[in-house]
Amino acid sequence: MTEKFYYDNKIVRNFAVATIVWGIIGMSIGLLIATQLFAPSMNLGNQYTTFGRIRPLHTNAVIFAFVGNAIFMGVYYSLQRLLKARMFSDVLSKVHFWGWQLVIVATVITLPLGFTTSHEYAEMEWPIDIGITLIWVVFGINMFGTIIKRREKHMYVAIWFYIATFVTVAVLHIVNSIQLPISAFKSYYLFAGVQDALVQWWYGHNAVAFFLTTPYLGMMYYFLPKMANRPIYSYKLSILHFWSLIFIYIWAGPHHLLYTSLPSWAQSLGVAFSVMLIAPSWGGMINGLLTLRGAWDKVREDATLKFMVVGLTAYGMATFEGPMLAFKQINAIAHYTDWIVAHVHVGALGWNGFLTFAILYWLIPRIYRTTLYSKKLANFHFWTGTLGIIFYAVPLYFAGFTQGLMWKEFTEEGILRYPNFLETLIQILPMYVLRSIGGALYLVGVIVMTYNLIKTAKAGKLLADEPAEALPLPETYVAVGSDKKLHRVLERKPMVFLVLSLIVILIGGGVEMMPTFTIESNIPTIASVKPYTPLELHGRDVYIKEGCVNCHSQMIRPFRSETERYGEYSKAGEFVYDHPHLWGSKRTGPDLQRLGNKYSNAWHYNHMLDPQTMSPGSIMPAYDWLVLQELDTTTTIAKINAMRTLGVPYAEGYEHQANKDLDIQAKAIALDLQQNNVKVKSDREIIALIAYLQRLGTDIKAK
Amino acid sequence: MFRQFLEQVDDKNIYLITSLGIFLGFFILVGVFLLVMKKEEVNYMSQLPLTEEEDKI
Repeated sequence: MTEKFYYDNKIVRNFAVATIVWGIIGMSIGLLIATQLFAPSMNLGNQYTTFGRIRPLHTNAVIFAFVGNAIFMGVYYSLQRLLKARMFSDVLSKVHFWGWQLVIVATVITLPLGFTTSHEYAEMEWPIDIGITLIWVVFGINMFGTIIKRREKHMYVAIWFYIATFVTVAVLHIVNSIQLPISAFKSYYLFAGVQDALVQWWYGHNAVAFFLTTPYLGMMYYFLPKMANRPIYSYKLSILHFWSLIFIYIWAGPHHLLYTSLPSWAQSLGVAFSVMLIAPSWGGMINGLLTLRGAWDKVREDATLKFMVVGLTAYGMATFEGPMLAFKQINAIAHYTDWIVAHVHVGALGWNGFLTFAILYWLIPRIYRTTLYSKKLANFHFWTGTLGIIFYAVPLYFAGFTQGLMWKEFTEEGILRYPNFLETLIQILPMYVLRSIGGALYLVGVIVMTYNLIKTAKAGKLLADEPAEALPLPETYVAVGSDKKLHRVLERKPMVFLVLSLIVILIGGGVEMMPTFTIESNIPTIASVKPYTPLELHGRDVYIKEGCVNCHSQMIRPFRSETERYGEYSKAGEFVYDHPHLWGSKRTGPDLQRLGNKYSNAWHYNHMLDPQTMSPGSIMPAYDWLVLQELDTTTTIAKINAMRTLGVPYAEGYEHQANKDLDIQAKAIALDLQQNNVKVKSDREIIALIAYLQRLGTDIKAK
Repeated sequence: MFRQFLEQVDDKNIYLITSLGIFLGFFILVGVFLLVMKKEEVNYMSQLPLTEEEDKI
């Protein structure tokens, strides 16, 4: 007796709308910050739209709002059909949808206000982190509820990818969000320095793996066969792909920290696994592309398949480049440059973007029971999108190579050929202009798609509840024949599957994280490294709030080209009080680790107020509001107490002395400024920032 | 967090050798899975996305 039931298309439609809306917003912010890199005045003259604050908004909007909603759209559509069941609970679906949008709105409000943790791709402060956790659990319950009440005994490979995504993102998010709150919107990470950096990049790298990759692979394994109307090229390869990908990916994080103060064996482990990653990645790409064998005539006509082919190719390019960039020799040149920015955008624009567009073009006409409004516009979107990616990536590759090599070039006499950092930046500014043209082209394509899809939706009518029927599963399952085999059993047991995936990712994560927790004994402690003074601590928080870390690293690698330019290379022991670490991943401006005592207080003051007067040609925006805004010293006690809890050796009771010390140090700086013809009150944020900048790297600096 | 029980292990090489063991074991296991899979199972599973009829447009 077959059962009748209905697929929930409305929730799929809602996530599709959210995908498009947030996609346009996220990409527009991307375009805005891209123009700021050659025209600093594009920060619109205020702190809320300045690069340091809205670059994280761009990354988070694209990752969690655009890609996140697209994932839920794809999962909610394919999961119901693969399991022959409606989603477990309509209420949970709604809570999931609106909860996720709420998290995004909270992010859009708080990041420009300067509430940031500074962990890349996880900048949201602790209340939002908790919100994400709750919504993620709702998603998990809804997904597993559906799996449990399914009418198809065996779980298709796409669902394994969804399960792995759910469980791994949960683990990553929780471990990376262990913070000690000191107020409603400020917290400090539990770990400091090297440990914090490792946790952050274990998270950061695996966010790429399990948020931007595995759910999309699951969607590829479902939607590509549907679009091409033929089964996946090799199902066996998809099994190998799944297990090897989730097993290997989780180890690769340390390749973001090559030549840093991270112990070298952890770096090597990261390199080895990164290189191995090419096998499962390309296995998956080849599996996708070969699914189209014999169907290439369709690719010529069908814009949906065109998007899939270029998306898969972009995935192949990005996953070839990843292992290459993980080689220390290549990384030495590429790290901190625009090469990395180009690399991630090939993945984001090509792989995530194009797969999302393909699925939207395929899915919207189906749930609206109509055909696509205009194939011509879809083809136009395809070509502007493809050109956009090329115009985006190629100039940045060029910029990355150029700047990376310029930083390293010595004259025959053995001195730096380009000792002024700014020279290397001005050289690549034309590339930044070209890049923003590429980004604009890509965005135009998305807007055309939006128009096309709205027209499509208007021509049809949403089939909110799509009727379907299937046989229910028997009460007790009797395995016959090959169903008794081990993996067949696994495919029937979602909870066992969940636990197994969890174990697989914890093995890699665990072995890699072990050094994080043992490292303290490995770090040669440096007696001269002392905790920050209260004023410096506040200054550090101003540095965090303004997002300085987005353009300035604090990690000098042990190369002659870097020690010549910046000074003594960074030691692990220097960062033991840094909650969080501020090593950075990109040098749009120079490294700041040894900035302390390099310039006068007045230089810093003038430079923050108008960077171009001190460094002609600089693209740094002015930070004039730091002179106007008073430093909030009411949090000093909470900050000192929190730091002590985290292991920073402030004496008991020091929190009551702290503001007095702060005042003395601030007045001394203000006095020094006054002697240099700068009049500023000692209670301003800029004083704290100057105190912090003057402290940077001085603990072990030769006097 | 896990420091207390790691400090009791003097020879940290054990982790590296264990990782290698886990790694090899893992891939041998997946390999065995794949080798024993029957053709009809493979066909059945790979047809799963294509079994619905209603959304052919």
